[in-house]
Amino acid sequence: MRQVSERALDAASAAGASYADCRVVNRTVQRLTVKNGVVAAVELSEDEGVGIRVIVDGAWGFASVDRLDGASVETAARHAVQIARASSRVNRVAVRLAPAPPLVGVYATPITRDPFSVSLDDKVNLLLRTDEAMSHLPQVRIRECSLEFVREERHFASSEGARLDQTIIESGGGLDATATSDDEVQTRSFPNSFGRHQVCAGWEAVEAFDLPGNAGRIAEEAVALLSAPICPAGVMTVILDATQAALQVHESCGHPTELDRALGHEAAYAGTSFLTPDLLGTFRYGSEHVTMTADSTRAPGLGTFGWDDEGVAAQRSVLVDQGLFTGYLSSRETAAAIGQVSNGTMRADGWSRLPIIRMTNVNLEPGTSSLEEMIATTERGVYLETNRSWSIDDRRLNFQFGTQNGWEIVNGERTRLVRNPIYSGQTPEFWRSCDAVAGPEEWQMLGVVNCGKGQPSQSMHVGHGAAPCRFRNVKVEPAR
Amino acid sequence: MSSDDELLAVGDKALARLQRGDAEVVIVDDTSELTRFAGNEIHQSVAEQSRYVRVRLIDDGRIGVGEVRGFGEDAVERALQAAEESRRVTTSPDVPPLPAPDHRPGGPVAFAATTASATPEQRAGLVSIVTGAARAHDINAYGALSTGTRTTAIATTAGVRRAATSTQASLVSVARGDDGGGYASRHSADIDALDVEGLAAEVVDTCERNQRATAIDPGEYEVVLSPYAVTDLLEHLGWVGFSALATQEHRSFMRMDEKLMSELITIRDDATALDVFPFPFDAEGVSTQALHLIDRGVCAGVVYDTPTALRDGVTSTGHSLPQPNTWGPLPRHLVMDAGTTPWKDMVSSVRRGLYITRFWYVRDVHPLRTVITGMTREGTFLIENGRITRPVKDLRFTQSIVDALADVAEVSRERRLELGEGESGVLAPWLHINRFNFSS
Repeated sequence: MRQVSERALDAASAAGASYADCRVVNRTVQRLTVKNGVVAAVELSEDEGVGIRVIVDGAWGFASVDRLDGASVETAARHAVQIARASSRVNRVAVRLAPAPPLVGVYATPITRDPFSVSLDDKVNLLLRTDEAMSHLPQVRIRECSLEFVREERHFASSEGARLDQTIIESGGGLDATATSDDEVQTRSFPNSFGRHQVCAGWEAVEAFDLPGNAGRIAEEAVALLSAPICPAGVMTVILDATQAALQVHESCGHPTELDRALGHEAAYAGTSFLTPDLLGTFRYGSEHVTMTADSTRAPGLGTFGWDDEGVAAQRSVLVDQGLFTGYLSSRETAAAIGQVSNGTMRADGWSRLPIIRMTNVNLEPGTSSLEEMIATTERGVYLETNRSWSIDDRRLNFQFGTQNGWEIVNGERTRLVRNPIYSGQTPEFWRSCDAVAGPEEWQMLGVVNCGKGQPSQSMHVGHGAAPCRFRNVKVEPAR
Repeated sequence: MSSDDELLAVGDKALARLQRGDAEVVIVDDTSELTRFAGNEIHQSVAEQSRYVRVRLIDDGRIGVGEVRGFGEDAVERALQAAEESRRVTTSPDVPPLPAPDHRPGGPVAFAATTASATPEQRAGLVSIVTGAARAHDINAYGALSTGTRTTAIATTAGVRRAATSTQASLVSVARGDDGGGYASRHSADIDALDVEGLAAEVVDTCERNQRATAIDPGEYEVVLSPYAVTDLLEHLGWVGFSALATQEHRSFMRMDEKLMSELITIRDDATALDVFPFPFDAEGVSTQALHLIDRGVCAGVVYDTPTALRDGVTSTGHSLPQPNTWGPLPRHLVMDAGTTPWKDMVSSVRRGLYITRFWYVRDVHPLRTVITGMTREGTFLIENGRITRPVKDLRFTQSIVDALADVAEVSRERRLELGEGESGVLAPWLHINRFNFSS
């Protein structure tokens, strides 16, 4: 990898780049899926290539190629320079980078057992046992469970002298039980929706999920939802489980604190942000119970690493401090635009894509309450579990979420299961209405494995630590 | 880039190494470049070149899949090894066989040499037409111009040998003023056919008309949807209901031969249509057939791949994703038939309603009932007494697509090609719908 990067940097400099960096990435992925008792797919994939980013005459250029021979790498470096030069001819403003020390080091995800050392047979057996545990209810027509393991070797080198090597390991798994009747379809998922829960950890994480031990309960819940009453409508108290709280954080805090969005760089696609730089340090984002951080040192979140993809060290930043908006996710270029230095959130989806600002582990910090206490002190409301649908506007203000499960709360008691709940609101009003967050014992590191952003599109794995939390005066209704 | 024949030769070579059983080898060579702009400046410009090799082995009732993305000499060998390792641990009692060579005629392929040879300088020049127009009106343009060339080759032990090279050029732009924005896009196989000046004029015009929007109450409104917005409706119907697997699993809204929508609505999937990025075959090498999904409001068909076709005792329509998969087949060339009303006349028949330029962040709320939610974005206008009178702030809608398409008053005679969120081409008209629910 080092030889490849040195050759790329030399070629870029010789072609006229004033700055260059190079990432050589090798990614191995195992995906196993069992559907309705059949091993539907075991996919083993490898992916290797190099991405070269340059600044020429004040403009960016980037080229990537999957051939690591010297001639191909040099051609790609020169193409990156050609691209930058073409852009510089129409641009009026030169790129400026905030300073960052050129670092040298090695990082590896801490794991107990390498998931790639576990046999495929053992993995298939785990999934078949999980499937079997869901198979006793005829109303459950679709049973699906899966595992995914990722190993990524990353080498980063820059013309400023950075030389960084990282090995990132991810392990994930999950199950879905879908029950159907003549006029209804209901899915329950575990440990999270949309296929799986994934973390930067080894095989031990998958064992801890205990998919077979939870599969029967989840299947029963899917069937129960078919005949559950529809969710009541009204303005009421909402308690979110940790998984839904994590997605709420993702959409309504993670994305709007991306500084490239706030500066308009993503206006054409992902959108902008209501958290404009003039609000930094003064805007009341949430209640005093709400503290949110970006922490790429917080294992086992999916945004845990040694350095980001422009060589800035992993770190913890406070985005919202007891309700006050205090920080952004930034890069060297965007940080310079607001007189700061990068807090290390540039990430690329493999070697072929340009690093852009992405969430690392954006966390809702634990509070002092508990789910039990929150329910006990709620007169009328719903407890909502596991995301089913999500939508939010391009400035990240107007949101609507649906969840798989709802539990009606009456006079401090969790009473009956209700189906098709959705809730909606405006981001600051919603977080300002937060009056309780559960404590560390109920806090979990969760994540999102399909966060889309950028053109060409990039899919990123990001972490979210969250705990159950409560909100007052929220609009709730059933999906009709 | 390798030629079609060169990639097929790579596939043939891989098949020759096979000791026993059946195999499918797919090789895809991709070259793509994209120039992105924000605030009238090019801020990202990228190029990417890659090869993808996928091997599917079938032997002794077991399927294995190996994938390698990388050009190394041993890529095919590594993919074969991975597929064999994968095959060893699978157990599938109903392994569908590889399809036989499809003698039905395949359609044309979208290709233009001009797109394949486009340069960074050319893209920068075209972008500057948009940014220049925006600057002239003292507003900012944002967007991306992409060009791509893809060669796909499929060779199987069942005798399938298909290869095709396609191109795509897309220009998407948002323009923003002090308090509001506009949107426009153009797509073609041929970069020289992109109407860049037309896009620039449209996005600037929409942006200028969409300044200082005022709020209106949510509720039920009569609407005129532009093709950008209609694209989202069609794409979500494709995801939740037009697949044979969705009907087999009882999770589709489709009820064959029943009339669920207005008779003004006909929806087809047509991979042979010249204006929807035509492509002749699917991921199994089966010729993609044009078919009616909704015919004058009546449920007329769903798309099939080999496994779902075997289950229903029919022939695959050539809409397979890479096999095996749990998603099922997908329509990727959706077309809504044109109507007779000039789109500019649609507004004139609306007493009080909304003109919607585009939707954003559309998600399924209840797939069986085709209920979706999303926001309007970059161009929502109030229509009063047959005229667009003022811009209004964006609204959230929550609406059943089938219910909306059952209540269509007019379909425009003009249509536009748009890329959906899933990046497949959709050819859509403007729609005048009597009732559409905005929830906040």
